[in-house]
Amino acid sequence: MGNITRRRFVETALKSSLLRLSFPVGAGTLLLTPEAARARKLPLRTLSHAQAGILESLGDAILPGSGKLGLIHFLDHQLSADPNDALLIAKYFEVALPYRAFYQSGAGAATSMARRSAGKAIADMSKGELGALVKEMSAPGKTHDEFPVNLFYMCLRSDAVDVVYGSPRGFEMLNIPYMQHIAPPEGWDG
Amino acid sequence: MDKAREAVDVVIVGAGAAGSVYAAVLAEAGMKVLVLERGRERKLSDLYSSQIWARRLKWAAPSVVEAGTDSIWFNFNAGQGYGGAALHHYAVWPRMHEEDFRVRTLYGRSLDWPFQYSDLRPFYDQVQRDVGMSGDAAQEIWRPAGDPYPLPPVLVTNHGRTLARGFEALDMRTAPIPMAILSQPYNGRPACLWDGWCDAGCPIGALANPLVVYLARARLAGAHLRANAAVTRVLTGKSGLQATGVEYHTAEGERVIQPSAAVVLCAFTIENARILLNSANKHHPNGLANSSGLVGRYLMAHSAVGISGMFSEEMENYLGATGGQLLCQDAFGKRSDPGGAFGSRQWMIALALKPNDLLGIAMTKPGIFGDELHEFMQDGARFMGSMVGICEDEPLEDNRINLARQKDKLGMPLARVEYRRSDEGRKLWQTAAAEGLKIFKAAGAADAWHGPPAGQHIMGGTILGLDAASSVLNSASQSHDVKNLFIGGPGVFPTSSAVNPTFTVHALAMKGARFMIENWATVKG
Repeated sequence: MGNITRRRFVETALKSSLLRLSFPVGAGTLLLTPEAARARKLPLRTLSHAQAGILESLGDAILPGSGKLGLIHFLDHQLSADPNDALLIAKYFEVALPYRAFYQSGAGAATSMARRSAGKAIADMSKGELGALVKEMSAPGKTHDEFPVNLFYMCLRSDAVDVVYGSPRGFEMLNIPYMQHIAPPEGWDG
Repeated sequence: MDKAREAVDVVIVGAGAAGSVYAAVLAEAGMKVLVLERGRERKLSDLYSSQIWARRLKWAAPSVVEAGTDSIWFNFNAGQGYGGAALHHYAVWPRMHEEDFRVRTLYGRSLDWPFQYSDLRPFYDQVQRDVGMSGDAAQEIWRPAGDPYPLPPVLVTNHGRTLARGFEALDMRTAPIPMAILSQPYNGRPACLWDGWCDAGCPIGALANPLVVYLARARLAGAHLRANAAVTRVLTGKSGLQATGVEYHTAEGERVIQPSAAVVLCAFTIENARILLNSANKHHPNGLANSSGLVGRYLMAHSAVGISGMFSEEMENYLGATGGQLLCQDAFGKRSDPGGAFGSRQWMIALALKPNDLLGIAMTKPGIFGDELHEFMQDGARFMGSMVGICEDEPLEDNRINLARQKDKLGMPLARVEYRRSDEGRKLWQTAAAEGLKIFKAAGAADAWHGPPAGQHIMGGTILGLDAASSVLNSASQSHDVKNLFIGGPGVFPTSSAVNPTFTVHALAMKGARFMIENWATVKG
């Protein structure tokens, strides 16, 4: 059966990542990798810095390496789009619009759960504590203060899988051919 | 500002499977046809090979309020834009069986259709020739009488061969799955490359989506298509007995009256009922075509169960068609269930897999995360097998579409959907889940598991029937109340069977369109 370590995965993924997004820079836009965007400290359009940090930590706990491959920039980009054109799986799960509110509430619910279970912020949690939090969120039907935490987990997990394995490079990491008729754009603007 | 357009012979609401057939057949008969589509214009060049980009083909805007015990999964099942749901469908096209049309007569429960299989067979045969279906009629032993398939079966890889061993070990039979996908070039369209991108739309046209078959024919025959045209009401004349056209809104918010001699609603199951209920007027206070009070009722959905498993050999699961390679209908007999549940089941075997999305590798085990998820993805890409069971849902009058208090941006009430999976459908699903695991174990799976119940194929709500008291439409899909109003799509099914509905949707649309042509003088009034 297959065998891959986290270190090997991240090295492979970063070496082969071609994910580029269009970011507003001055009066124009640039196609940049998320890493480059981060280095330039380009602002996110919808998520706050704090929300982005929480979602990235959760994303990395769910699928290690998803943060560096652009999970937050993918999400932020889609949360700013017309929902009928959105590429988020939240659409299939019939998440109520606006999706922005759902992800922001999800970040808030996870923060509250972390404080309740570990008495600390998500950014301060150890890998083990973060894993325990994600495990709790993954319980079918799990809610927190009436917010559907399990649905949020399912969406964020799928977003992370999209970013890591849903592209031609993701297929390459799995050693399966992509076989596209029409290659998807490298960015998410269409 | 209101605007009136030039009258047409027929206005068709919705450019999906049913609407495209009506448009082609009526335009080819010389009628002036206009198709109004609520969603966007779509071109083959829009169909990127990506599960992520495929989500653009579906709705997000809220038009449905779920108020029942079970979800109808509207957004996943529906489609927006030219081609509708048929643009992203998997093209698994088995025929309904003879007993599906006479369930009440044969078993004293459920409902009857107003005609028998033999009445629909010529239209199945015609559609099959038009689109170029692949299959093996002789091996498909459960299939009712019909012309042989024009093309040989679809690809079978190690994925299909391995799972077939499990069926064989349990004395169950498999056959090539009948598909509206070209195994060889046909009528100028190329053969499939077996790349598993059906869900994202097939830009080469090997899969018979509306853009390459009936919408293409409709356009060639002079039919006009208008995108971003949201129909909100069907209008009637002074007597209330004839439809005079439709009201729609453009993307810019302009309200337009489109006059026509006849109207065909093909806006999918829920939207058709929503439009009819929203078309209430003094002659039709409970909604148009609703003298029976049954518009919106008998809503159904198949209960689907996904079976997954890990094998010790390379499965080549990335190859093939999304809908599968093989079919089993051994449990199709209405009384064949070992637990005594009533209804039919079928297996779609060896579905092509992608890593991501709702039916992808990752989603089969949603509880896995962290490094274990990476390992699971690596294993799944090589060793995972997959099949889906479909279970019949019984028509229940209480399962219904109504108008909600909430309204959309046009001021039209949203659809309020109350749906509860039938008890028989629930039991069939349990049987299927257990049987699927046994099959996978018999095929050699080291580990096998199933997913939760999922709603697939939304049917009912505007059902066909023998009379105006017990149905909305007659045998020609014509309203009992308003003679120049027709409806297409799976919403007209009185029973759900356990087969994928799109082939039957095409055949019924062709039957309805032929009736309109043959009876045009009386239809238009």
